[in-house]
Amino acid sequence: MSKRSARIGTGSAHTYDRLPPAVALADASAVDHLVFDRVGEGSLIKWQLDRDADPARGYDGQTEEVARTFARHVAAGLTLIGSFGGANPEAAGVAAAKAFAEAGATGTKVGIVVGDDVRRTLTDLDPVLPELGRHFNEVADDVITANAYIGAEPIVDLLDQGARMILGGRLCDASLAVAAACHDLGWALDDWDAVAMTTLVGHLLTGGSGLTGGGFADPPVRVVPGLHDLGFGMAEVEPGRFTLSKLAGTGGMIRTDVVKSRIAYEITDPARYLTPDVAADLSQVRVAQVGDDRVEVSGITGAARPDTLRVLVGMRYGWKAVAQITYGGPGCVDRARLAEEVLRKRMEPMASEVEEFRCDLVGCNALFGDGYAGGPPAEVTVRMAARCTTQEAAAQLAEYGTYLYWGPAGGGAMEGRVEPAVHITDVLLPRASVPLSVEVVTA
Amino acid sequence: MILREVAFSRCGDKSDVSNVCVFPYDPADWPWLRGWLTAERVAEKYRSVAHGPVHRYELPVIEGLNFVLERALGGGASSSLRMDTYGKCLQSLVLDLEVPDGPDGPPSRNGAA
Repeated sequence: MSKRSARIGTGSAHTYDRLPPAVALADASAVDHLVFDRVGEGSLIKWQLDRDADPARGYDGQTEEVARTFARHVAAGLTLIGSFGGANPEAAGVAAAKAFAEAGATGTKVGIVVGDDVRRTLTDLDPVLPELGRHFNEVADDVITANAYIGAEPIVDLLDQGARMILGGRLCDASLAVAAACHDLGWALDDWDAVAMTTLVGHLLTGGSGLTGGGFADPPVRVVPGLHDLGFGMAEVEPGRFTLSKLAGTGGMIRTDVVKSRIAYEITDPARYLTPDVAADLSQVRVAQVGDDRVEVSGITGAARPDTLRVLVGMRYGWKAVAQITYGGPGCVDRARLAEEVLRKRMEPMASEVEEFRCDLVGCNALFGDGYAGGPPAEVTVRMAARCTTQEAAAQLAEYGTYLYWGPAGGGAMEGRVEPAVHITDVLLPRASVPLSVEVVTA
Repeated sequence: MILREVAFSRCGDKSDVSNVCVFPYDPADWPWLRGWLTAERVAEKYRSVAHGPVHRYELPVIEGLNFVLERALGGGASSSLRMDTYGKCLQSLVLDLEVPDGPDGPPSRNGAA
């Protein structure tokens, strides 16, 4: 039987987010579901490389810890939904089940969503990658990952099967809450207004402590109490609206200005916020302070979900070199500019191996170029970054950077590093070409 | 006076796109902000950061303007050579815009509110 409201809380906004704020929500029995976003745009690349090195790895390294930490809450009815699976959801599911059993939660069902890895499908269909203007198979040798964003449907399926921890790879962050709410309230996944509203719930909750004031303080104009110990937010979802709150006694605040700023986070056209589940219209959203640390959100509508799924393709992209040196005191900016000149001259003979290069004066122009005119700084760091076709060229550039010690006077704090460069591009695939499956492992 | 005194901002990232949303503190300033803070004004301020077009969208009920800056992250966070690969710091620049005093400025500051 459906509930009258669904209670969902933040589990995490990213890998290795702090666990205690989520534990506090579970300890207080304040929510029925915790939603954990674990994947950033680039994190699947790292996990896929882990899996390539060891077939048993390639998932979120905190999976077992999360299962152990919440085993007693899960035994009492809490569900955990998150993208812990990384590039190896099956292994993550087995590991989570083992951790639940070891923690005494024998019988806990772990649900696994499989099918976001679409590399084989892309090989078969060979679509053009729009940004690169090339067919997939022309660049396939450089491809590390290709994962489609997965929506709420398989998660609801697993909740229906009684799964208490549900994990997958590139699960869309918003969909975690869509699934939880629609499951609990008995809402159909083609009730577009309801799906759009719960999409915003997920968008807000998977922003972590951003919802309670993280990243908001700008004294004296914006002050956040308890910034050192921010709690996580939670949402109570009802027909047509949801109410955001947090536990009493935790740091931060639930306030309309913060909520407004989080609604706007990472959106483009608010009238058409696209996810695998819906085309949500957030443009007419309303927020109202209905109590201390309580904000009600309403006014969201939706239209049918897109026929395509967005796929992020992660590729090798040469080698990246970063090097820096710092100058201070009178004339430091002039010496930093001279260092940049020296660097550019030394680089000239190897120009054919350098795909991209930039040099910034950190303290002057690294963030905004000439968009912000600050006064003369006390110290300035010359930061050089380059992308090269070979590891050797990148290493040479990094060395030139640190060797600037023998350039202008008074340079110090040199650092240089080389790392593989990766790039992410995207492509749309017809939904029908991305078959998903679910499986359940019992602890 | 700069915009920071009457408004706050928040940015986010997607691929090579940064979005910067601006909200007035005082509802009395919303009609002014809506008219004054054009996409052109924002594009000019971010000209050495955003190398593509700047689009403006409105959130009229919660009184916010969302600016979408294309080609602002050096190709996208994963491959960007910028120090701030995700453009997390970009939100602060818009607040440096010089705001007019008097009747052309924000009503909360000129007594016309």
